[in-house]
Order: sequence, then C-alpha cells, then structure tokens
Amino acid sequence: MRIAFAGNPNSGKTTMYNALTGKSEHVGNWAGVTIGKKESPIKKEFSGGASEELIAVDLPGAYSMSPFTPEESITSGFVRNENPDAIINIVDATNLSRSLFFTTQLLELGIPVVVALNKSDVNEKQGTKIDVKLLEEKLGCPVIETVSTSSRGLREVMEKTAALKGKGQKAPYMQADIDMTDKNAVDAEDRKRFAFVNSIVNDVETRKILTKDTTKQDKVDRILTNKVAGIIIFAAVMWAVFWISQSKIGPLIADWLVGWIETFQGWVAGLLENSSPFLQALLADGIVGGVGAVVGFLPLVMVMYFLIALLEDCGYMARVSVVMDPIFKRVGLSGKSIIPFIITTGCGIPGIMASRTIRDERERRATAMLATFMPCGAKIPVIALFAAVFFGGASWVSFVAYFAGIALIFLGALLIKQITGHKYRKSFFIMELPEYKIPSLKRAAFSMLGRAKAYIVKAATIILVCNAVVQIMQSFNWQLQLVEEGMEDTSILATIATPFAVLLIPLGFGVWQMAAAAITGFIAKENVVGTLAVVYGLSAFIDTDELALTGGAGEVATTFGLTSAAALACLMFNLYTPPCFAAIGAMNSELGSKKWLWGGIGLQLATGYTVAFLVYQVGTIITTGSLGSGFLPGLIAVLAMAAIVVMVTIRSNRKLAAEYGAIHSKGGVTA
Amino acid sequence: MNLKEAAIGETYIIKEIRTDDEDLEAFLFRLGCYSGEPITVISHLKGGCVVSIKDGRYNIDNGIAEAVLI
Repeated sequence: MRIAFAGNPNSGKTTMYNALTGKSEHVGNWAGVTIGKKESPIKKEFSGGASEELIAVDLPGAYSMSPFTPEESITSGFVRNENPDAIINIVDATNLSRSLFFTTQLLELGIPVVVALNKSDVNEKQGTKIDVKLLEEKLGCPVIETVSTSSRGLREVMEKTAALKGKGQKAPYMQADIDMTDKNAVDAEDRKRFAFVNSIVNDVETRKILTKDTTKQDKVDRILTNKVAGIIIFAAVMWAVFWISQSKIGPLIADWLVGWIETFQGWVAGLLENSSPFLQALLADGIVGGVGAVVGFLPLVMVMYFLIALLEDCGYMARVSVVMDPIFKRVGLSGKSIIPFIITTGCGIPGIMASRTIRDERERRATAMLATFMPCGAKIPVIALFAAVFFGGASWVSFVAYFAGIALIFLGALLIKQITGHKYRKSFFIMELPEYKIPSLKRAAFSMLGRAKAYIVKAATIILVCNAVVQIMQSFNWQLQLVEEGMEDTSILATIATPFAVLLIPLGFGVWQMAAAAITGFIAKENVVGTLAVVYGLSAFIDTDELALTGGAGEVATTFGLTSAAALACLMFNLYTPPCFAAIGAMNSELGSKKWLWGGIGLQLATGYTVAFLVYQVGTIITTGSLGSGFLPGLIAVLAMAAIVVMVTIRSNRKLAAEYGAIHSKGGVTA
Repeated sequence: MNLKEAAIGETYIIKEIRTDDEDLEAFLFRLGCYSGEPITVISHLKGGCVVSIKDGRYNIDNGIAEAVLI
C-alpha cells in the first residue's frame, strides 16, 4: 500500500515521514525544504494493523494542484498520475484557511484521504480551538490532530489510513465542469473554492489571537530583518558557526580522534613489519594514512553540521532570505539564494538542489552555478590542512576562505547579470515567515550523525580507492617497476600530472604533486588532503593536535616546497575551481541546459585560476618585491579568459537589445 | 493606494492585483491574496514589507507590494 504525503510547504510532512520510517531526510523550518520525491517503508510499530507493507511517499510542499515551481509539479503529478492507495494530507493547523484549499482539491481525486492536523501543539499554545468532529463531517474524511515533532497522533493516522485501503473518497466540494484554459472561469471557480473553505473555517475554528495582531515574534522579526542590524546579526551568527566548529569544539574532538587513528596506523604498520615495503606503504601510508588524514577532520565537519541543523530548525533561514533580498537583487540573485549558499557550507549537492525553490529561472541558474564558491564540508579538511601547514594553524585562513567565497559569489553574480542582460527582466520575492521554534537538539544530532555516516562511508570507499590508486601510481613507473628513491619523477602519477602542473606554474604551485591533488579533488575534495598525504608520505606528520604539525610547520612546508603566497594560491585554486563530479552532476540537473552547465564550469575554472594567479603574484610582490614565476604566460591566460567573457557579454547584450527592441516596436504597431 | 502606503496594523480589503505577470497573480491567489480579501501590513522594511494574509505571515518585496491595490 503506497501512501502519499501531501500538503502545504512547511506543514511538517518530512518530519512526519522521518518519524514513521526512521529515515533522516532533510527537514527545516522554512517553506520548500523538500525538493524531490522520497519513498520508504513505514516502521512496523506504526503499521496500523495492516498485514501488508505500508510505503510512505514524501512529496514536496504544494499550495494547490496547479504547479507553480518545478518541485510543486512533482507533487501534483504524483497524486494525479501514479495512483497512490491513500493520501495523508498534512495540514498546518495554524493556517487552516489557506491549507484547506489544497485539501479540497485532494479530496476530489477519488483517492482516500486522511487529514493530519499538524502543529496542534502550537494551536494549543495560542489558544486556537478546532472542532475536529465537525471538520471531519464537513470534509468527509478522517481528521486527526498530530504533532510530527513528538510523534503525537501518528499511530492513529496510520490506523485510519490502513483501514481505508481500496475505498474511494467522496468530495465535499466538486469543481464545476469548466474550460480549464479559460482563465476567468478558472479564477471564478477558485474563488468559489476559497469561499467554501472560508465557510468551513468559520464553523470549526475559534481563535484567541488573531493572526493579524502583532506578536512577540513580529518584534523579533523587526530586528532580524532590519537592513543594518539584520546583516550584522547574520554575519555574527555565521562567524560563530565557523568559529565554534573550526577553531573551538571541532579541533578539540579532532585531537582525540587523531590519537586513535595514529595508534591504529602504528598497529597496522607493526603487523606488516615483515612484508614487502610496497605493501607496507600501500596499507599503512596509502590507505590508513590517507583515509585517516581525511577522517581526522570529521569532528570539524560534524560540529558544523550540528550547528547548521539548529539554524535550519529554528526558523531563522526565512528571515535571512528577507535580509539578503535587497542586496542579492542588486546582483541578480534572489533572497532565497542564501539558503542554497548556507546549505552548501555543509555539502554542495543538497545546496545546489535547494536552488530549485527559486521561481525565476535566471536567478535559479545563477544560484546553482555560484553555490559551490561557498566552501563545503569536504573542503574543511583542505582549509584546515593548509592553515596548519603553512600558516601555523591561524584561524584567519578559514575566515579568508569563506569571505573570499562570498565575494566571488557576488562578483560571479554580477558577471552573470552582465552576460544575461538581467536589466530587461523583473523578478518578485515572496517568502513565508514561519513561526520560530526552539530547535530540537535530538534532530540536529540525528542530522549530524546521518551526515557523518555519509562522510565516513565516502572516506571508506571513494577516498580509500583513490588513495590506493594514487599510492600505486606513484610507486610504479610505466615499466611497472617499483620507483626507486630519488626517482619519484618517473612514476606513472608524476608523468601524468606533470603536463597539468605546467599550467599551474603561474599560480606558484607547478609541481606534479599539487596537480595530482587538484585532479583527484574533482572526484571528492577530501582527496586533496588524502593525495597530499600520500604523495608526500606525510601521513604521520598530519596531526591535528591544535591543528599544528608535530614535525614543525616549517619542516613540512619545506617538503611541500611552496612559499606562503603560493600555498594560499593553491588553497584558493582547490576551493574555487569546479566542485567534485557529484556536485557537477547536481548542477547539470538543476541548470537543465548544457550551455549553462558548460558556462558554469568554465566560470568556475576561470575564477579558480584567476584568483590563484592574483593571490600568488600579488602575494609574491608583497613578500619578495619581485614577480612570481610564469607571470607573463599566466597574465596572457587570464587576459584571454577576460576577453572571452567580454566577447560573450557584448554578443548576448546585442542579441537581447535586438529582442527587446523588437518587442517594443511590435507593441508600438499593435497599439 | 497600494500596500507600500498602507498603515501598519490596519486591515485593508484588496481591490485589485495589478500586474502583467500571470504567474505572480496565480501564486498570490493560492495564498489567499486576491481582490475582496483582507490583508494587514505588519511592518515596512527597506526592500518590502511583512504582511498577514489569511493565517500566514509573508515577506513580500516592493514589486509585489506595489501590485497589491487596496
């Protein structure tokens, strides 16, 4: 029996789905968290006495059956065309007058519906009473008061739903047979439907506090969405998130974890004492060392996930969108773009996908293209490694990494605006402001553990394999003989990576090891750390003990053979070039156009290269007084990229101006 | 007049949604923002305002606020 979960955005569908199935799908207190269909069997304890398996299908929130954004069409398409056996309609009990519009449409489908009157606890707190019995009568379907966050009423909902299998559904309100292409007729019909809903609400609901009254929440909103205070508060909140996760609590736990990893590595090396040196290197350095280097940074990432989950849960994200909208609008983004950007600090893939809720196609695409300039969780190890090795663990490195990411988003957005001629288009911003709530620590812990599991699985699979391959490729030459000491440049890895390394000379890190790290970084960004650990045989040095290095930062810095300007350039290159392949895949599906995808990848490559070039060359001038290596070829490359951008801009503007002009002259003729 | 000129806390009846963007009109409709319905401005902000429509709170930008005639 397949059961569809449908309802308005932010009514608590996914929270209920998670409670019933034991999954930990992404939830948050704003409209439009779920952007795709999710399916999972419901736990036995909630099966409602049904003998067969119950499958829950979680759908994105929708306000009505006529889709408006891409994710809404998933919902209406599913309930209309895929014949679920029942629908659980999750209704936000605090906003009955809006929610029942969709409910009455669902009731018309002939599929049995159970209404879950969710967020009943909020109603109780506000003194709003709903006559459930009367509502059941009026709608002609079971209505059960629920609280998703504490699983209240869920068992009953499932019992009622299971009992309805095979039954039909009588609609309390049937749309008249009208021509759906006639806008006026549809409009009139919808008005009648709303009138019907209003009459129900009038009968069943009694409110103590009217929604239009100003409450404490509005006073908080006034501060949080103030154009000056709002931005300062947002900056402080984000700074606190990064500071706590990457300078305070994160490293504290990392210390302890790295101790365990090193003990394990020593133990493995001990076991292999009598085996071949190659096997020793492969297992102890390549696999345990490389993977260990990545896992060692897990606590930083976990603390960050935990804090972001708290932010998502409390209702603050919607307010941040509001604060950012006027600023983002100026550069051709939407206030809603901030949500993908914040989610990307955890992982770029859900971040890019979160851009789906942006209505304007151009804003949506720009957001999806730019989101990964925000360093993701996988880049945290890279930042932490570079900070530790070259900058004595200074916390400004991480600050610069995020700040530069934000700056690049703005610059990139302006560039896209130039190229696409945004001035000819208009977009609107509307954001529901949900009730604030105290974030659930349990949920944040679940979210953190779920993501930590994914991180470890990734480390134990993709990253492990990559490190093993890198280790093998650097141990052998093309004659498949073990590379002798001092002849490292003849290894398979070195000969493949060297041509790429040449391109990196103007950026200050034109050595094959760095090129190899950047390339493996496209598979997963953690690989940058793993590969560097493997190719330099440094795994034993990387000890996150206060994120400094046991052998002394200077010693390792010498091994890497980079100046600090080159090191910063190298870090920035790895941060702002195109993301990992998985994220590029997400970009591909959200951009929905090969032209935009290649434009996006091109933009990211050009940005990474240009930023690294500038950082290295300017940094070298400041520190040594002379230009860095390969300045001229690098300058030519950067200028060539700039020339391409200018050309594309001029061409598209000319085209747009022609189109726009044509529309105008046509309008003139008909008028 | 439009929502931008509305007094805070006072409930107005929407006269018309004046826009050439049909999608926007349809979207506002589904939230319960259409002619004949009440609307209250909770606060005015730099780029728009916070309104109460039916039992929900929304932030809308000036573009929309100017389109809602009351």
